[in-house]
Amino acid sequence: MERTLPTLIFACMAILLIGLSLIVVTARSVFRGAVALTAALGVVAALFALLGADFVAASQLLIYVGGIMIIMLFVIMLSQRPLDHLDRQTNEQWVWGAFFALAISCALIMQFRAVYRGVFVTTVATPTTASIGRLLLGDMVVPFEAVSLVLLAALVGAVYFGLDGKDRT
Amino acid sequence: MTLSLHHFLMLSAIIFGIGVYGALTRRNVLGILMSIELMFNAATINIVAFNHFLYPDKVWGQGVVIFVMTLAAAEAVVGLSLVLAIYRNIKSVYTEKLNLLHG
Repeated sequence: MERTLPTLIFACMAILLIGLSLIVVTARSVFRGAVALTAALGVVAALFALLGADFVAASQLLIYVGGIMIIMLFVIMLSQRPLDHLDRQTNEQWVWGAFFALAISCALIMQFRAVYRGVFVTTVATPTTASIGRLLLGDMVVPFEAVSLVLLAALVGAVYFGLDGKDRT
Repeated sequence: MTLSLHHFLMLSAIIFGIGVYGALTRRNVLGILMSIELMFNAATINIVAFNHFLYPDKVWGQGVVIFVMTLAAAEAVVGLSLVLAIYRNIKSVYTEKLNLLHG
């Protein structure tokens, strides 16, 4: 029982995630696609929890679902015109696009099946928040500081592009 | 049947392929951004799965995923403000209208 339950949860999550991702890339209305993407990111957070990464699952919910997707929904509402959802949403290259996507997926799947089949884990997952904190302020402190500079640059850039043309000096 | 590493890797490969399809075929710039977010998430599932199955007593992979998330947030903020600036200038978010530099 304790072996089949995670497998069952994983199967449900996988089906849900694939279906939601297909909605994201094929939905005619971009707003509907964004709502499906929000749900898909929540499912990814559940997969992280299944993999024993509790802190990463919580950050995924906070940053992606609570932050990025809210901004994205706002921008979609600010930049759509009323009859946009009647237009075709894919370009003429969808056959080649599907071919390349299928080729990349099949190559990756075959490689993964060949190399990583039957790698199991025996240890029980423990809470990771304390060790992630020690890692970020210990061994990873240089990228930790560098990423704060990147965030500052992104903030300044967003304000700069958000200004009207005449205010920009 | 017990969960193995290749189940997670295969799921993330499928999600990555769907994201590639969306990024190649969407006409809307916002749709392309959303497909790129899908690809980011496929990569992070991969990293967390490798961490969990191959090095269960370390958390380096999860630390890397935190950085990926932060950079994705920065990318989304800059990209979306660019989309708004483009929309203000040419009143469209479709990629075939963005041909100002086409000559």
